[in-house]
Amino acid sequence: MAQQVSTSQILADTLKLQIGNISSVIEKQGRTIFGGSNLLDPDEITDFCVEFLELLVTLLESKDPEDDASPQFHALEMYFNNLSRQILMRGGRVEDLVRYIQFMQRTLLEMLSENKNISVKEARAILLYLSGIFNELILAVFAAYLEEKESTIFAQEKELRETSTPITEIWDGVLTLPIIGTLDSSRTMIVMEALLNRIARDRAEAVVMDLTGVKNIDSQVSHHLIQMVRAVQLMGSDAIITGIRPEIARALTSLNIDLGNVVTRATLSDGLKEAFRRLGIQVSKHA
Amino acid sequence: MHLTEIGRGVFLLEPSLSLDISARDELIITVLSIIQQSQADKLYYDLADLPLIDPLYYQWLNMLARACRAVNVTMACIRMQPTAAFGLTSYMEGRPDFSVERGVR
Repeated sequence: MAQQVSTSQILADTLKLQIGNISSVIEKQGRTIFGGSNLLDPDEITDFCVEFLELLVTLLESKDPEDDASPQFHALEMYFNNLSRQILMRGGRVEDLVRYIQFMQRTLLEMLSENKNISVKEARAILLYLSGIFNELILAVFAAYLEEKESTIFAQEKELRETSTPITEIWDGVLTLPIIGTLDSSRTMIVMEALLNRIARDRAEAVVMDLTGVKNIDSQVSHHLIQMVRAVQLMGSDAIITGIRPEIARALTSLNIDLGNVVTRATLSDGLKEAFRRLGIQVSKHA
Repeated sequence: MHLTEIGRGVFLLEPSLSLDISARDELIITVLSIIQQSQADKLYYDLADLPLIDPLYYQWLNMLARACRAVNVTMACIRMQPTAAFGLTSYMEGRPDFSVERGVR
């Protein structure tokens, strides 16, 4: 521990002594990497460099600089995490940020190598210490990158789900729900929730669910489908399923799914006719 | 619990949230005696204020519907909430003893 205290003290002293030089070197590199593509403006780069060095000195002068759970270390980590998000949101690449962090580490080590009062043993300890810190910072950047990507994927999935199951009121009191693609349990649940709320909102009398675009179905999903039909019926609406492909029909029968209480029609058009018939609506060509 | 005659032979039952279904036998007798006196043939059970129907409540609804059928009254549950319908489908088997309608016709 005594060795570590002296290592961090040497680092802090050298940093404070050469803070101007270090800052200008990393600022220049920052402008080359992020300034050219307008990811960060010059003022932001300057602020970033100053704040980074301040946070690093605060960590080095803290009670236990090696403690990666300390508030000072957390502050440094969060700073990079936020910077990473900011750059990624502006269309930057995570590789550039990682290379920049590595450059900052190299710059610090080069400045320290100019200090002739540092022994080989101390230099080795400093190298190990700095490597540890910068590795953690790179991990923080990657964590932010992954979180950002995950949230983007999640948002895209949500949007895709919403657009792939459009519930349309095709006539007063008649809703249509064309289901396209693969039905999995989570999607079925989302569709069911949206559909039931829509029935309540629009006071729909009939719902036509068209499965023409459904490629395959498993036992859990077919169970959810029946559950959806039952829920629609419980809300006092008629549920009509259309477009059951031969493969789906075969799957339903082999899964012993009882469609006895479910009204089915071959096509969406037939389903709509059935819904209109139930509502007493007559659609005819103008003479 | 409010039981109102809303038309000739048509009653609307609005259960309050404090309806004690543990005393269902007494409740059934009370409801049936009122609707029988008025020679009703239809009872609407309003579920608008029930966000969830648990198995015990579902049992009560079925029991009341069967009792109504015994005195030639049809019971229809109306205004079931999406959450209640969704929850009910997760455990109900077969068809309920009551019919369902969107609202009073």
